[in-house]
Amino acid sequence: MARLVNWGLGLLLPAALIVLWQYEGWRNALPRYLPMPSVIADQWLEMLYSGELFVHAGRSLFRALTGFVIGSMFGLALGLAAAALRPIEDFCEPLISLTYPIPKIAALPIIFAWFGLGDESKVIIIAVSVFYPLYVATFAGAKVTTREHIWAARNMGAGRWRIVMHVLLPSALPQIFNGLRVGLALSFVVMFVAELVSSSQGLGYLITFAQDNERFDLMFVAIVTIGIFGFIADRLLLVVRRSFLAGYLPAAERQ
Amino acid sequence: MTVPQPIRHFLLRSYPIIVLLVLYEMMTRFGLVSQRLLPSLVLIARQLWRGLENGDLVHHTSVTLYRTGFGFSLALVGGVVIGFAMAQSRLAEKLIDPIFTFGYPIPKIALYPAIVLLLGLGSRSTIALVFLECIYPIAIHVHAGVRSVNRSLVWAARSMGASRARIFARVLVPASLPFLFTGLRIALPLALIVTIVTEIIGESEGLGYYITFSSASFEYARALAAFVVVGVVGFCLDRALIYAGGRIVFWQKSISIME
Repeated sequence: MARLVNWGLGLLLPAALIVLWQYEGWRNALPRYLPMPSVIADQWLEMLYSGELFVHAGRSLFRALTGFVIGSMFGLALGLAAAALRPIEDFCEPLISLTYPIPKIAALPIIFAWFGLGDESKVIIIAVSVFYPLYVATFAGAKVTTREHIWAARNMGAGRWRIVMHVLLPSALPQIFNGLRVGLALSFVVMFVAELVSSSQGLGYLITFAQDNERFDLMFVAIVTIGIFGFIADRLLLVVRRSFLAGYLPAAERQ
Repeated sequence: MTVPQPIRHFLLRSYPIIVLLVLYEMMTRFGLVSQRLLPSLVLIARQLWRGLENGDLVHHTSVTLYRTGFGFSLALVGGVVIGFAMAQSRLAEKLIDPIFTFGYPIPKIALYPAIVLLLGLGSRSTIALVFLECIYPIAIHVHAGVRSVNRSLVWAARSMGASRARIFARVLVPASLPFLFTGLRIALPLALIVTIVTEIIGESEGLGYYITFSSASFEYARALAAFVVVGVVGFCLDRALIYAGGRIVFWQKSISIME
């Protein structure tokens, strides 16, 4: 019962907003560019049934996830390598600490010029954006590995490779999941922006199309869909994290 | 002939940057890549100088900084107020906390087209979006920070006769400051990213616009010069925040980005 009340209270403000919005719509008091929630929901369901939503959403997801996977693989590998080998750390650290705070997305127009307007450029800019949080998280996580663990592994005759894979990597995992979470959120943002700038399919394109044709209901369908995606992807990652880190997390978070 | 110690140390530490720059220059010089797409560093530097001299870069940089700073400051105030409200009042926590925890992973940038319809193109929309994006990490960290304050510190203050206001100002605020700075360090790069993104999508001023405009007119050296400025701005903002954090939260060794 108490749980139910908590849920109700949490939903109160958003629900009130939607009710007000709908009410204003019935009174015809909304500006032209703000369709009623019911109209948006209708259009969303219609596009879901006709399959049109899947075309755009699939395209967007494909770009975001490809970039996310490539970027996080590179970040993870280089982060581990830098934590394991001193020369690599010496080479990477100044470069990363210099470029980390730079908003990589500002290079988007230049990347478009270099690699064309197709999927390539979008995947590249997403991968570059995702690389950074993954590298930083992996490196930081692997760097604080307990010395005794490494010594113990070495004592028992583990080689370098084995130590990296079985000692450094597991001890960096909690941090790596933090990095993955940041990177995942980032990949959706960058995907969306890249599509807004130039594309012929995808949720970002849907918004450009809707604006050009004054179909504001379509625009909100795309906005809602991106919100749902970002939310579901984050929840999925948390579920994966929970099963991976079953032994690490405090009991409260394990549930 | 000896090189002074600090300079030698700097050169030794930053050699990878120099190596990469030299490699890039050689690639363009020997015609391995198109000179126009990847212009030589000399050309970029010349464009940078020209942009600073005729005021173009200065103007667009100041517009970007104004939007970033304005939105960030609003989010700072709003985030601190909401964070404290959630930590202090049960009702506020139940009402607001779900919006923040569930709304956090939703990409706020998707709302930009809707915000533009409401507020029109220009600084107002950008500032609103920066505010929306930055208030999340700030409020969440302040909330967590106030929540994590050691209860015995509050009890000790209370038993020594401190009033509520005094406990707030002398115990809760200082104890949650490190968390606030962690939130700020997440929010500040976001503020700059959001500003530049909106400028790329649909603005007629600011560094993002300048980069888009330059590469659309095939002036890649100018676009890269502007990107260098973006880099310098991003780097300096981050360092300034770390410096401020080190001075204000001097008892904390370092402010980490990853919790």
